[in-house]
Amino acid sequence: MQEFTWPGLIAETELAFDLEKAALRQEFERRLEECGTLAFRVALGVLRNAADAEDIAQEAMLRSYRRFARLRDPSRFRAWLVRISFRLALDHGRSARRRKQRETAWATDLPKPTAEDFAASNEFGRRLQEAMGALSEKSRLVLLLTSMDGHSLEEVAELLELPVGTVKSRLHSARKQLAEKLR
Amino acid sequence: MTCDKYENALLLAAASNGELDAKLARHLERCSTCRMTLRSERELFSRIDSALRAQVNEDPRPGFLAQLRLQLSKELTARPGSNRAWHVAGAALALVLVAMFYPLVHARPSSVQGNLQTPTIRVPQSAEVRKSARASGDLGVRSRHHSKRSAVQSAVPQEPEVLVPQDEQKAFAQFVACVARRDSEAQAVVMPAANKTVNRNTELPQVSFVDIAGLQLARARQEEWINQNVSSE
Repeated sequence: MQEFTWPGLIAETELAFDLEKAALRQEFERRLEECGTLAFRVALGVLRNAADAEDIAQEAMLRSYRRFARLRDPSRFRAWLVRISFRLALDHGRSARRRKQRETAWATDLPKPTAEDFAASNEFGRRLQEAMGALSEKSRLVLLLTSMDGHSLEEVAELLELPVGTVKSRLHSARKQLAEKLR
Repeated sequence: MTCDKYENALLLAAASNGELDAKLARHLERCSTCRMTLRSERELFSRIDSALRAQVNEDPRPGFLAQLRLQLSKELTARPGSNRAWHVAGAALALVLVAMFYPLVHARPSSVQGNLQTPTIRVPQSAEVRKSARASGDLGVRSRHHSKRSAVQSAVPQEPEVLVPQDEQKAFAQFVACVARRDSEAQAVVMPAANKTVNRNTELPQVSFVDIAGLQLARARQEEWINQNVSSE
């Protein structure tokens, strides 16, 4: 049988719910700048395209906002945001690659890149990107996060919820692999 | 050849960019090739690191955070709307289900009506018959079919319809005609006789009183009567 609830109690519950929602919103807004940039950078590290990275960061932030009530712990929230941004960026990159393959298979008379395009592209950057693409996802994420300003090994370890030793070994292995490919 | 054993140590030193091992440091003092290798490896790692930093530490364009706030506001305002959208979707689904099942639910009575339209006979009702039928309550004129109709339909004054099997139509029509003509047999069927039947079953038979005292015979006449009967047999 349904329990009787006084109308006043319902109003109080709704008010408490609204207040809690407002408090959550405020807390999220406080973190928006820092976390928005973090999500953008992680996505950019994977995609190398600012517009795509913004889209991914936006999506990651919206998703994290929806789950914010369950992720009140700041360190856990940042860790979750990094993971979701990285995962979304990887998925986006894969689907973009597939799309590109489809398009190139269909469009045989696409305009060929000009000499200016070649000049504009950074050869080392391109090779680095290729080499990073060959890394494992775990090593890649560690490399990206440790390359970000203000992220020490300890902070990255905390962010990824990993021991510092694991982060160190993954970083070392990743850099060694990159050097082998770029040498 | 002696430099080969320092290869890994060199790479490690270049990658870590930290303090050199004492043994390696002593070797590097003597070996210019390894010094060059170390320098080039350190350059490579530094190039990798700076390229990575340049890639990763790019700031989003100034409008990005404002856009993000706007999207969040939209999300907030859209959330109740999304619930509304679910309600609308639910209502639409309910409508579709009703539209799907309504014909199935209501098809049965209508199809029955349709099938039995041929054997259905509209009974012209005279005032007396209507009255008697109302009184009897359960006779043929008030059919089961009629009683199943909705309240709205029954509220509309109309002639009752009787469902009659095809092979009995003629007989029923004759019966109805008899009722209409106030035929005595038909009226006997229509008129309520239930109460009488009940009384007949329950009432004790009425027997008139008979005085049997006069039937008693004297002994002499009794013997004479017996002798007469025996001799006649």
